[in-house]
Amino acid sequence: MSDRDLENRFQGLPTTVREKIDAVIDDAKIALKLRVAELLADKEEMAEHAVTSAGRVGAKSGEVSELTAIMPLKPGGAEKLRKFFGLVGGNLAGAGQVGTLHNMRFVFLDDDTKLLFATAYDGEWDPYIDDFATKIPEFMDYLFGNVEGWPGIQSPDVKDFIVQYQLPAEAWFVAHPTLTVAGANRLKRLDRTVQNFLTELN
Amino acid sequence: MDLFRRLTKQPTLELDDIQAAVLRARPEPYFGTHAILEITDAAAGRELLRRLAPRITSAARWDEPVPAWTVVAISYPGLEALGVSEESLASFPANFRAGMAARAERLRDTGPNAPHHWEFPFGTGRAHLAVSVYAESKEAWQEAVDGYQRELAQVAGVDLLSHQDFGATGFNVFGYRDGFTQPAVEGSGAETMPGDGRPIKPGEFVLGYPSETGRPLPMPSPSVLGRNGTYVVFRKYHSHVAAFNRFLHGNADTAEERELLAAKLVGRWRSGAPLALSPDRDDPALGEDPRRQNHFKYAEDPRGLRTPLGSHIRRMNPRDSKLEILSDLRIRRLIRRSTSYGDAVPDSEVRDDGSSRGLDFIALSARAIDTVEFLQSEWVNSGNFAGLDKEKDPLISNQDKGAYFTVPGTPPRRVQGIQSFNTLLGGEYLFMPSLSAIAWLSQEPTA
Repeated sequence: MSDRDLENRFQGLPTTVREKIDAVIDDAKIALKLRVAELLADKEEMAEHAVTSAGRVGAKSGEVSELTAIMPLKPGGAEKLRKFFGLVGGNLAGAGQVGTLHNMRFVFLDDDTKLLFATAYDGEWDPYIDDFATKIPEFMDYLFGNVEGWPGIQSPDVKDFIVQYQLPAEAWFVAHPTLTVAGANRLKRLDRTVQNFLTELN
Repeated sequence: MDLFRRLTKQPTLELDDIQAAVLRARPEPYFGTHAILEITDAAAGRELLRRLAPRITSAARWDEPVPAWTVVAISYPGLEALGVSEESLASFPANFRAGMAARAERLRDTGPNAPHHWEFPFGTGRAHLAVSVYAESKEAWQEAVDGYQRELAQVAGVDLLSHQDFGATGFNVFGYRDGFTQPAVEGSGAETMPGDGRPIKPGEFVLGYPSETGRPLPMPSPSVLGRNGTYVVFRKYHSHVAAFNRFLHGNADTAEERELLAAKLVGRWRSGAPLALSPDRDDPALGEDPRRQNHFKYAEDPRGLRTPLGSHIRRMNPRDSKLEILSDLRIRRLIRRSTSYGDAVPDSEVRDDGSSRGLDFIALSARAIDTVEFLQSEWVNSGNFAGLDKEKDPLISNQDKGAYFTVPGTPPRRVQGIQSFNTLLGGEYLFMPSLSAIAWLSQEPTA
């Protein structure tokens, strides 16, 4: 499609959308301006992926929230953690029992002096902190005990401690915003049942 | 019904310093009043506490019936109004300091339950002091209420904002036996009932003792203020019994079918008999037997064929159900001192008579505020924890348009048209101090 065709399509979109585009990304190519404008004009798509706040810090899309934190490590902390991650081959399979974690990653920054912890999870992050404190305190304290100043998972200050290092995402996209980990497990069970049914039927 | 657990062991809690409501069971029938007061003058507030102190009953010999007992609890603005020091005030948890109205989003108190719809004085910041009287007879109730009112009349600078009477026979306005499932508190001296499991650590219910973490939970300072105290969550609901009856009539043809559907929503028959033990019909003898009414688990019913996964009691106390999310049920238990007000409505009545009736949900524990916020967002207004997606608690949630309830079975039955059967009229987060803390609070603070 020629730039002229693209421009024509762009001009066909609502004035309010075009004005916003021109105000912010006037320097972009018309192909990009058109893509963004069409997206902004699609109210249904925008509403499905609307970004809200996940409690105190962090973004949330539907049921799925993000948590990004950069925390200072104690001297030798990275080495200790690296050994632990090496032991399990970087595989944190046991985390599945938490039931709200879509994913999480640990990255060392700045010559092993800082830890980047990033995760996508269901709901708000703090309702279950108390459960971690009584169900898996050893695990939480072993991982995060390498962070400078970690107050301990059972400390009343632990929520404030995490919030203090949390960096809110400026943009957040989730493919299936309403699909929780528990919901995905349910769909997998359903699918298995349907597949078995089809196999037996034929 | 035999209400009181017997005191069979030596208590290790300081019962004579803990308020009676923590361990004393609601009698049957019961009568009482919840009064809410505003302190407009700090010295007057302290004077009232001094005068009320001798009337506040302790938990000592909580197993022996007494005619009436008086309970006092204080909100965060109440502590401020009493002139408590900045340092002490700052030692209280953030959600208690913010107050229930400010936590509406977290509590899912939106739409008709939102604070701007609440009755006075809830959520105004003026509900400072809650005085409750529980009694086993009309006479004892009146005498205890007169007693507190005489003290109040002697003090200028503390005003009565609301006075709500309550009373029932042990059945709520929907016609269900209620209030009989309570956690076993280690150190209370209470006998263990079948179905209790291991008693829960005392620090979960009273500040200053080891909790399920192995250590005491954080408590306000100084220690005389915090120790032997606990938190209270008070939520006043209006009950739409006629709407509940209409729902049953609209979805079941015979009285037997209606009662079964009603039991599926709750997880118990109206008598209290659990579906887990009596899945096909009510068994009133079972319902009133304290040694049997809680003697059940859910592990053998993973699909909820007896007790639906989404039923009220299975949500509020999932026992050994397999949950989708890592959860520690032992830190989610509450001591419940809820009270009913207004007349019960017969199950044949489908027209709303416009009368005021409902339930004052009253929950006590050392983490009551965290727990109720957790319950509201995770177990009441969501079904995710039980693999039920967006399905909500059939009795106390804030239902969306098009809500339904699933009765598991072959095939499962999806019952449409379920609505909010209870609307929140307001509530407060309160701190229930020990008797020595009340004495401490009634003294002029030292700078």
